[in-house]
Amino acid sequence: MSRRRELIRYLGARMALVPLMLWLIASLVFLLLRVAPGDPIDALLGPRAPEAARIALRHQLGLDRPLINQYGSFLGDLVQGNLGISQHSQEPVRAIIGASLPASVELGMVALLLAAVLGLAVGLSGIARPEGRLDLAGRLFGISTYALPPFWAAMVVQLVFAVGLGWLPVGGRFPPTLLEPQGSGFFLFDSLRAGNWAQLQGTLRHLVLPASTLALLLSGIFTNALRLNLRRALDSDYVEAARSRGLSERRVVLRHALPNALLPVLTITGITVASLIGGALLIEVTYSWPGIAARLQEAIAQRDYPLVQGIVVVVAALVVLVTVAVDLLVALLDPRIRF
Amino acid sequence: MALSPLTPLTLPLARLPRLRSRLVGLATLRRWAAAMALMALPALLAGCQPARPSGLLIIASSSRIDSLDPTQASRSGIMQTLSALGDPLYVIAADGTITPRLATALPQLSADGLRARIPLRQGVSFHDGTRFDAAAMAFSLQRFMAIGTLSYQLTDRVRAVRVSGPYAIELELLRPFSPLPRLLSSIFLTPVSPRAYRNHARSPLNDRFVGTGPYQLSFFSRQQQRLTPYPHYWGPKPANSGLALVSLSNSTALYGALRSGEVDVLLSGNLEIDHQQALHREAEAGRLRETVGPALEISLLSLLTDQPPLQNPSLRRAVALSLDRATISQRVSLGLRPPLQELVPPSLPGSDPKAWPAYNPTEARRLFRQAGYCQGRRLELPVTFRSDVPTDRLFALTWQSQVRRDLAPCLALAVSGMESTTAYSQLDKGSLTMLLYDWAGDYPDAENFLTPLLGCSASRGQRCLKGNSVASGSFWSEPGLEAQLQDSSIQTGPAREALLRTIQRRTAAATPYIPLWLTRPVAWSRRQVSPIRFDGSGRVVFGELHLEGQP
Repeated sequence: MSRRRELIRYLGARMALVPLMLWLIASLVFLLLRVAPGDPIDALLGPRAPEAARIALRHQLGLDRPLINQYGSFLGDLVQGNLGISQHSQEPVRAIIGASLPASVELGMVALLLAAVLGLAVGLSGIARPEGRLDLAGRLFGISTYALPPFWAAMVVQLVFAVGLGWLPVGGRFPPTLLEPQGSGFFLFDSLRAGNWAQLQGTLRHLVLPASTLALLLSGIFTNALRLNLRRALDSDYVEAARSRGLSERRVVLRHALPNALLPVLTITGITVASLIGGALLIEVTYSWPGIAARLQEAIAQRDYPLVQGIVVVVAALVVLVTVAVDLLVALLDPRIRF
Repeated sequence: MALSPLTPLTLPLARLPRLRSRLVGLATLRRWAAAMALMALPALLAGCQPARPSGLLIIASSSRIDSLDPTQASRSGIMQTLSALGDPLYVIAADGTITPRLATALPQLSADGLRARIPLRQGVSFHDGTRFDAAAMAFSLQRFMAIGTLSYQLTDRVRAVRVSGPYAIELELLRPFSPLPRLLSSIFLTPVSPRAYRNHARSPLNDRFVGTGPYQLSFFSRQQQRLTPYPHYWGPKPANSGLALVSLSNSTALYGALRSGEVDVLLSGNLEIDHQQALHREAEAGRLRETVGPALEISLLSLLTDQPPLQNPSLRRAVALSLDRATISQRVSLGLRPPLQELVPPSLPGSDPKAWPAYNPTEARRLFRQAGYCQGRRLELPVTFRSDVPTDRLFALTWQSQVRRDLAPCLALAVSGMESTTAYSQLDKGSLTMLLYDWAGDYPDAENFLTPLLGCSASRGQRCLKGNSVASGSFWSEPGLEAQLQDSSIQTGPAREALLRTIQRRTAAATPYIPLWLTRPVAWSRRQVSPIRFDGSGRVVFGELHLEGQP
């Protein structure tokens, strides 16, 4: 079978599993929410609302129906792409996700880009002289940034650069004195498309601290991954063979060792992207970033069943898709991989 | 040599021995250039702060607003915003007096007290130009009764709303209700334009608001709202050129935003005690302004009175006497939460500041002894706190230590945390011996603090079987108490206040609850902002704020 057909068959098999996985995840979330203690009515009305009002609201929200009926309606709606209505705000869940997800994705992508640049640069810096000062510093950087507690790091960065020095805003996604860019929900893209320099500037100012903090925390993963894989590649036979052919060290590293060392890094990047789709909760909370993770946390606290279910299902679907995409990309780049 | 796309990533390779001598100078230069560029970027961005429109005030709080529809309003953040966008029928001043706002006089009651006629102001228009009249007011009240989250506040008291003239409405009451003007001061009853809400008569309109207030909404998102003065407002025009309301999700961000000058006004919301104290000191030093509003939120302990050990009223009283509120308030809230010995906030009529006994370990010990404790037998009492409220945890631990210090042979507290929504759902199941929680009435009246805690529609002896007392976790009632509560909603003036005090004394004697402290709304502002004023409902009057030195 040709490689292309193998790839298509592999893709088909992975995609066929997606609905099954989503059904399992959706059912699990549905059940866990109902089993968990707490009542959406308490969250909405408070504990001391009159019984009649509680009964009326329970009926209005459909929470007095048998669980199996609620589950049936949920699945039926889900199949049709209807994620339901938030019990808390009475807004369509799809609209709420549409407003929050771009914020998380934008933050995640900028942070990932910064993390990759920083992490790979630090990872490469020590290659010239193993166990030298730069190499040791790189290792220390990799371990310490990976080990930093996100909440603490975010708080320190916020206190120094926003509160102490006053250089950048303490939180939020956009200056309150300007009108938000309209369009896709990705403010960088929208402000660029509109050619609005003030909006772009405002977006960047608010993005710097959360994205840098997140990038700092993620960069250690790239540093360590690249260091280890590049070291392994430089010790391999094909690199020795290249050296013995008289190629320059620069060419050996760039053309032979680095592409092979970057393949595992690509896989790690995929996993990181997948985790960032769900948002970086502590960063979002610290910087008041209106992302999907902070929204999910609120929804859980409010026992907003449709919103929690909707966010989990959408995030799970995106994570599955990204994972499949990364697998395919790695397979396309590495001819050694068989399915 | 052809450049690889990865070349930018390989700059450090210049340190390779063979290339080092040739490139070391260039590499150093590049490193310096990169470092300087990195340093310059934040400075550049910092220097590029967007220009602020003249007279615009930025106000920060922790409240995120899901919906601006008054029918969905149940939290203080949205009420504060709605108070700038809409007008209620009546307003309560800081001194407690009730003044008509969209009404022109207090309700005119029929002889049997079952019909209230409310004359309305003329010459008022909604932000979309629609005329405000009786039909619009009736539409808004009926809409609230149909879909309001807090609709029971109206439907429990009002049978019907009718238009009785072009500028007069009539409320048909289920029973006489003397705090009616106070209920009608609720901002969730603010009228909305029938034209703008025509397609939302029975469904909420979340991202718009078309009312009659001094400001109109010009931008809405969950995190930010922009309000601009409504040029055709019937009353005094706002003193500023607009408001930008921002929500920041944590205390450090809120504190930092005011300290760094990013915002002009900060409403306390969920600010941590340490931050409140730091801002208080800044205000004392004259670097900030601080204003405290009327306290309308109380914290209390509910005691499970229908099961041992707290079935015994003497033990409940002994527990109440063992609570050193002053010390605990100082340790936990640095004195920012005043101790409270009643269920009604002191700013409201019917308050009785000494209804509950003060800290008295000697008397507590005597009562514990009388109940058979202290002589080699110690009462082990579980106390539950809301684990998602940091102050609650501090309270529980401090009280536990204080009891260990003062009453170790008689009483030991076993403290444990529970997430608040879970705790609330457990209250009416009788599974929590003691729970600390807080309560803020939906409108400022004593009835709104006593009935939700003491109301009981079915009881046997001192055990409440059905009603608010069950939902509040005490399960306590007494013969005649419900009748007194009902009567307090009918009486007026000094007679009503005396009755409210009697109810409080009865409750204190049985101790199904132990009031702990008050939470006061606080606002801080930069020195350049004019002094802040709270109204009697605990809300900042936004329209009076302005940057001093600006017209």
